[in-house]
Amino acid sequence: MNNKDTNTIIKFDHVTKDFSLQTQKTFKEFLPALFMGEKTVNKFTALSDISFEIQKGECIGIIGPNGSGKSTILKLVAGVMSPTLGKVTVHGKISPLIELGAGMHPELSGRENIYLNGAILGLKRKQIDECFQSIVDFSELQEFIDQPIKHYSSGMYMRLAFSIAVHVNPEILIVDEILTVGDTEFQAKCFAKMEEFKKKGVTILFVSHSMETIKSFCTKVIYINQHKIQSIGNPHQVTQKYKADSPLS
Amino acid sequence: MEIFKEIKAVIKWHELLWQMVSREVKARYKQSILGYFWVILNPLAQMLVMSFAFSIILRIPTNAASNIPYSVFLFVALLPWNLFANSLSSACGSLVGSASLITKVYFPRTILVISTIIAKIVDFLFALIVLIIYMIAFHISINTNILWIFPIFFIQQIFTLGLSLFFAASNLLYRDIQYLISLILTLWLYLTPVIYPADIVPARYKIFFQLNPMAIIINAYRQTVLGGGPPNYFSLLIALIVSLIVLLLGLSYFKSREKIFADNI
Repeated sequence: MNNKDTNTIIKFDHVTKDFSLQTQKTFKEFLPALFMGEKTVNKFTALSDISFEIQKGECIGIIGPNGSGKSTILKLVAGVMSPTLGKVTVHGKISPLIELGAGMHPELSGRENIYLNGAILGLKRKQIDECFQSIVDFSELQEFIDQPIKHYSSGMYMRLAFSIAVHVNPEILIVDEILTVGDTEFQAKCFAKMEEFKKKGVTILFVSHSMETIKSFCTKVIYINQHKIQSIGNPHQVTQKYKADSPLS
Repeated sequence: MEIFKEIKAVIKWHELLWQMVSREVKARYKQSILGYFWVILNPLAQMLVMSFAFSIILRIPTNAASNIPYSVFLFVALLPWNLFANSLSSACGSLVGSASLITKVYFPRTILVISTIIAKIVDFLFALIVLIIYMIAFHISINTNILWIFPIFFIQQIFTLGLSLFFAASNLLYRDIQYLISLILTLWLYLTPVIYPADIVPARYKIFFQLNPMAIIINAYRQTVLGGGPPNYFSLLIALIVSLIVLLLGLSYFKSREKIFADNI
């Protein structure tokens, strides 16, 4: 590995992602289609030939209209999807915060869910023991921690999820538009935590529709539309371009 | 080889595996008033009604040589069969049921299937208590051949895992598989010597039973637990080989689909 690459933590090399949309989901639809020689698979291209590099410690904002492929990028980084063409290289431990409480079980208590979710994010039991109190403190859910989380409000859900994710000590933090839930006070706390991560040199990938947040928080912005990168670079310029492209917002 | 790579990955993620198992077990315990009592009540009720139907009404013979009551004869086979059937049907829905995880976090997907099967084994162990009490109550004599249940159990789990991987992955693409599986299991029960002894199967059909690992496994349990001497080694070897082939094929299908799980869910 040459010197130039050592700081690259995420690299997309001519990445294309196609989804095969199965038009038939059941045998009842599939079998006749098979015999009639109908096309059973429709292709949908979410990303087409995308290349970019992210350096360690950068805070990347990803913007673009709905359905432009933002979430697909995050899923490729998280490793839950594989590119159809090209190559995605990621170095470092990822903590995804893509949606509220993935992997939480409603019947289990907050305490049990912390252990479950910690394990899903790759933590050892001992590591969770060590930061358990800190997770609870951060979430401010002390009184409710032994209650089944099905009684939690969505804001409480999110607090717990966020608290766990930030205690994983990630090298890459993926945040997908979740900070819209929760009261302003907790939102401020989350941003303070993310600022702290930024200072520690954690790479952050951040999807948002709020241009103000993006401008104030990110060091670099990727604007994606029509499955391609339209612009990449300085937050001010890129958000300007996005605004120019979508006059209504 | 693929299987060793997968074993290594699962060992690396063993903490998650145990958390998933305890999630299944705890969630069941919390959801209902009777909680774990259900895993005992269910096979017990099944056993009593089936005993009535097949022994008192239909008068199916047990083993001529011994004087084992039909209910014990049935229960020894029914519990491992239920384990197999329950494992397969819940494993079949395990990936679809964890859709939110699959689309968000990376970890070895086989863990979802394996943890479901282990949770069913926990249920099985609880139900086993009833069998033990039952056998003591009926003064069933056992001998050292009972130790064979461990290798037999091992073969059963290889077979179960292989099929589960295949059906879990295909259910993700076609949801019909879950309905198909319940049909297959109903038919399969009758083609396996669970409610009748293996020796009343006519000779010309025996070959089909030899190729059905569950027939060999169930028969071997019954023979070794009820004091009937060691199992048929040759049959057991066939069952082991068939099970290993099923596991390798199941895993290979699972791995080939794994990359597109998140796309299709």
